[in-house]
Amino acid sequence: MIAAPETTAWYVYGVVDASAKIGADQLRLIGEGPLAAVVSEVPLSEFGEEELAQRLNDRAWLEEHARAHEDVLQRLAAVAAVVPFRFGAIYRELDDVSVLLRERRGELSAALERVRGRIELGVKAWADRDRFEAALGDALPEPSSGRAYLERRRTEHERAGRVGAQLGDIARDAHARLLRHAVEGVANRPHPRELTGRDEAMILNGAYLVADGDEALAGEAAALDAEHGARGIAFEVTGPWPPHNFVEPRDEV
Amino acid sequence: MSRSDLTAGGGLPPARPSQPAQLADVLERVLDKGIVIAGDIKIDLLDIELLTVRLRLLVASADKAKEMGIDWWEGDPFLSRDGRDNRALERRLRRLESAAGLGEDEE
Repeated sequence: MIAAPETTAWYVYGVVDASAKIGADQLRLIGEGPLAAVVSEVPLSEFGEEELAQRLNDRAWLEEHARAHEDVLQRLAAVAAVVPFRFGAIYRELDDVSVLLRERRGELSAALERVRGRIELGVKAWADRDRFEAALGDALPEPSSGRAYLERRRTEHERAGRVGAQLGDIARDAHARLLRHAVEGVANRPHPRELTGRDEAMILNGAYLVADGDEALAGEAAALDAEHGARGIAFEVTGPWPPHNFVEPRDEV
Repeated sequence: MSRSDLTAGGGLPPARPSQPAQLADVLERVLDKGIVIAGDIKIDLLDIELLTVRLRLLVASADKAKEMGIDWWEGDPFLSRDGRDNRALERRLRRLESAAGLGEDEE
């Protein structure tokens, strides 16, 4: 007798305590020792190796499923400590999910303890460069000759570097201040305008791990916003996020 | 029927109310952070053309920022523990190795 070909696989979102109560119809908890993986059954017609390679280049599909992955983690994080997995952890057999939990128990348990009772907040700083430069107050005179034009170009260039350095200092100081109100924090690369679609330049893209219910970091971001707002720099808090930024093993160096 | 089972779980409370997250924020977290698990369906996020474009944009932002003089998070180990480039290179190396029959095919 030939076994029916498998048509589904198991998509793993992340790991919670084996004792976690998540009561969700479409999600299953696969327990192994103290840990449980949160999985759902997915069709191989979409999540098979070849199919996936194509779907991932379908912008709408990628957005829908990246958001779905995030949405599940958000909902889990609201009721339990959760270690988010990166998108695309897929197994054909549930047994292999158990093997994963067994083999990486140390790492996963450590990550779970690291984020327990904590949430991730994002803080971004946006610079309106024109307003910032205007606030600096050193307006340049209109050039009256070719030579003056060249001089002005040079001055503009120098000033651009100076402005950039000042924006960098503001972002660096802001990150240092925010870190004082966080358990951990990381400054990720700011997104370029092509991604943000905004006129302002992102100069800080920070992620911070804070105790759930601790308002201090958001308060500090609001204070920074108030301090720098008149100069065209706005601070924005996003989240709470599942702790994506704080589950990978810390760098050795 | 287009079935998409990668959906929000029925009985869980709704996601905490906040403005809908920017796609770039979601992709950065979901595709570039989190614990990396090599399941047995092989998926190499670096092979996503779309993502490669996006990652390139993320990386390109470093050059742009340098031009603007706001590359402050680069090369500051205290501020940046961004191992993106190394990880990407490692993955590429691993892929080349396995294509060449060297090294073990591990996560």
